[in-house]
Amino acid sequence: MNLDRDTIKAAVRAKVIELAKNLGMDASDIGDDDIIPATGYVDSAAILELVVWYEDVYQMPLKQEEINIDNLGSINSMADFVIRRKG
Amino acid sequence: MAFALHAPRVNNNDDIVQVIAFRVGVGDYIEKGDIVLDVETDKAIVEVAAESDGYVLKLMCELDDKVAVGSILLWQGASLDEPVPEMAVADSAANGGGARPTAKARALLKELALDAAVVPASGDRLSLADVEAYMAAHGIQRRDHTPAVTVSAQENLPDVPGELADLNAEERGMLITVSWHRDHAAATYLEVEYDPKAWEDHAAAYASANKLMLSPLLPLLAYRLVQLVKASPRLNATVVNGKRYQYRPVNLGFTVQAGETLYLTVVRDAASLETRQFIENLGEVQRHALQRKLSRDETSGATIAFSSMARWNVSRHIPILPPYCSLMIAHAAPKGSGRAVLGASYDHRVLSGFDVARLLMDLAKPPA
Repeated sequence: MNLDRDTIKAAVRAKVIELAKNLGMDASDIGDDDIIPATGYVDSAAILELVVWYEDVYQMPLKQEEINIDNLGSINSMADFVIRRKG
Repeated sequence: MAFALHAPRVNNNDDIVQVIAFRVGVGDYIEKGDIVLDVETDKAIVEVAAESDGYVLKLMCELDDKVAVGSILLWQGASLDEPVPEMAVADSAANGGGARPTAKARALLKELALDAAVVPASGDRLSLADVEAYMAAHGIQRRDHTPAVTVSAQENLPDVPGELADLNAEERGMLITVSWHRDHAAATYLEVEYDPKAWEDHAAAYASANKLMLSPLLPLLAYRLVQLVKASPRLNATVVNGKRYQYRPVNLGFTVQAGETLYLTVVRDAASLETRQFIENLGEVQRHALQRKLSRDETSGATIAFSSMARWNVSRHIPILPPYCSLMIAHAAPKGSGRAVLGASYDHRVLSGFDVARLLMDLAKPPA
């Protein structure tokens, strides 16, 4: 598995865009530091899908208390959290 | 040495389970936690997981068999050449023709839907004492207050060409739910409109204070429901054989759409949890649903339930009551309308319109 930060960011971005598209939204301009739940591109159910995808792709089961804005709130923080946990 | 996997007790009142699908065959190596087969009771379909690692040596039941809780479903061993214990073979052989039951034994066997061939006889005839000993050994109780859920009557095929296909486990579960709703509950529906702003502000403040990723609006609404039901226990009951069955725990059912599958996930004993713990537990079962890794406890035993279709922008939905659940809240909040709806399907045998209307009015306001 490639744990290069840019690669992780690209994968997360692509997933967010895909989930937003399912809801009829175009999230292609989402910024790396944008707080994903606050963008309005994805709803809670889609964010839950994003979290489950993230756990699966990076083989990293999360504790419920780890699912918060500090750890997973933005594309940057999601990439950093993988590297911190896997590094 | 070979070891057995036994038929699980799914519900307190179900002493028989029906095997509806095998996931493994003789010779397969299975690990602890692997799903080996599906069983169905009157109220639920559950997956049976292996309790230990090992090879499948022998299947002790066939598809569609009705087996007693506690009886042996299959034998496993550390290697494929492990011998299956003599007793199991003897029991299996007995299926081909056991001792003739006495009249009393036959009546009890009929009540339990138990095959005489699986019960060992102590003498020439299978006696009442033999059946009772078998019940004691397998933890089987007499079914003195559990009505059966009728799934379907025999129907004629439509006069249009087509093919019959078995339902999958989720579809069968839904069929059982719909059948209980139709045949047992006196299902009724009412709803109230409310201004969603107070709840949205409450949820936003909670999310901000706790740095939550997911909006806690629906979990907080569900938790408020739990607290209101805790304060009015009569809302947490069902009717069985003409008697009120008052539940002790409040087990909250919460619908989760995972792909094309709708699950009723369950947070058990929800009234004993603090707000944060409830939200975390609910988040966990939601993730398990999306991962298709729900445990038996996470899919059974709901005593009340909550369902929201706000995501789909519907203005109203009328839920089907799951078996032995007298109250299911339906939440809808059409986008851009500035209004929201709290509805409830409820079993009028247990709850009155007044009970439910008062509950909905209270639920429409976030806690102070």
